[in-house]
Amino acid sequence: MNKHSALSSVLADVTVANGLPNEHYVDPAIFAEEKRSVLFANWSGIGFGKDVPEEGDAKPVDFLGMPLLIVRDRDGEVGVFQNTCRHRGMILVDTPRKIGGAIRCPYHSWCYSLKGELRATPHVGGPGQNKHEDVNRDELGLIRVRSFVWRDVIFVNVDGNAPAFEQVHGALMERWGDFDKPIFHGGETSSFKLEVKTNWKLAVENYCESYHLPWVHPGLNSYSRLEDHYNIEVRGQYSGQGTLVYRQLTDQDGATFPDFEGLSDKWDEGAEYVALYPNVLFGVQRDHSFAIVLEPVDQGNTVEHIELYYAKSIEDTPEYDGLRASNAQLWKTVFEEDVFVVEGMQKGRHGMLFDGGRFSPAMDGPTHNFHHWVATQIENGRAE
Amino acid sequence: MDKTELDRLLLDAHDRNDHAALIRYYTLAADTCEQAQDIDAACFYLTHAFVFALECGAAEADALNQRLVAHGRGHRLNFSD
Ligand code: FES
Ligand SMILES: [Fe+2]
Repeated sequence: MNKHSALSSVLADVTVANGLPNEHYVDPAIFAEEKRSVLFANWSGIGFGKDVPEEGDAKPVDFLGMPLLIVRDRDGEVGVFQNTCRHRGMILVDTPRKIGGAIRCPYHSWCYSLKGELRATPHVGGPGQNKHEDVNRDELGLIRVRSFVWRDVIFVNVDGNAPAFEQVHGALMERWGDFDKPIFHGGETSSFKLEVKTNWKLAVENYCESYHLPWVHPGLNSYSRLEDHYNIEVRGQYSGQGTLVYRQLTDQDGATFPDFEGLSDKWDEGAEYVALYPNVLFGVQRDHSFAIVLEPVDQGNTVEHIELYYAKSIEDTPEYDGLRASNAQLWKTVFEEDVFVVEGMQKGRHGMLFDGGRFSPAMDGPTHNFHHWVATQIENGRAE
Repeated sequence: MDKTELDRLLLDAHDRNDHAALIRYYTLAADTCEQAQDIDAACFYLTHAFVFALECGAAEADALNQRLVAHGRGHRLNFSD
């Protein structure tokens, strides 16, 4: 017997489908289920490479209650570990910091390398005895969580059972092959976060549809009319929207940001905005891109971590500092305009008689595509 | 340096989380015990000097590890990588 609502109406064709039921937004038990079946079972974004820019940088992250540690090792590779000591389970690193040599547990000082190997077990065999025949260092390294960095976003598959990242997300990697170039974070002004009283899925759903643009972002409307947008939906993969009329931001002298090199002319005025399931939102344009990691805090709270990237580093192009700040402000305004709708939809889902809603078959395909994917993950989890 | 003074310096180094001082004074404590043939106590202090050197990536870690290994008190680590 299934104690939850059947999701068959969510899995139906967009012309007749309902949205996910209320409980998927307001019920802590379903949130816990989604944590396991949707967020831990797939490739979820937890942070950004730019947060650990140098070798030895370590940043602890709480991902749905799971303590993780992001580390950049001496080879420059980003690794993610469970931030829990293999001895007595102490949290290893509690604030972002630079690791000079080894990660030393603050409790009994077991030490781990930046690749997670257990390097020292002081007094483990008694005072001054740093080995014991029953404590095998090779078996007691930090638990590594599968990770993959794409477009500077650090993705993890916590349960370890998802197919390889390139396999799961190869389609979008290929679609955006033109943008497979070095990207440079825009610095302090290009980084901001919004704490929003909404379920994380509503942030995805609002991001991937263009239906709301003329109503919620009337300012965008002057240069981005509804008919200049197209839906992006790939079943089981990703969805979002594209525009045919992207206009570059200019400063008072008419200067624009340098373009990413070697783009096809599709991108002269084209731009795409895609939600990579479950919780990462990307935007690509000829002269900058952005990534948003949605941090699901609980069923009704989400933190949106927003980072903007450019084709040239801030060190090489200080002349664009002002334009970068204006661009960030512009995006911040757009994303803030969305806050009342994602919070309002969250409140609306306490209406006990709401049935998940009906879609516009023409406009809501990307949202339905996401619901279809979420429902499939949940049904897979329930079938296990 | 007498033991009380050394203890004071060690506590002070702990308070300031001063790794260079921690390595220096724990090594000094170990040297003193070694000279007095008190190997257990020496290895206790060597362990601390070694752990703090390992933590901060100090060059002394290699030699301290070797001393512990020579006393049969630890595994030899590779410091080349
Ligand atoms: S809990 Fe980490 S060393 Fe004991
Ligand atoms: Fe919006």
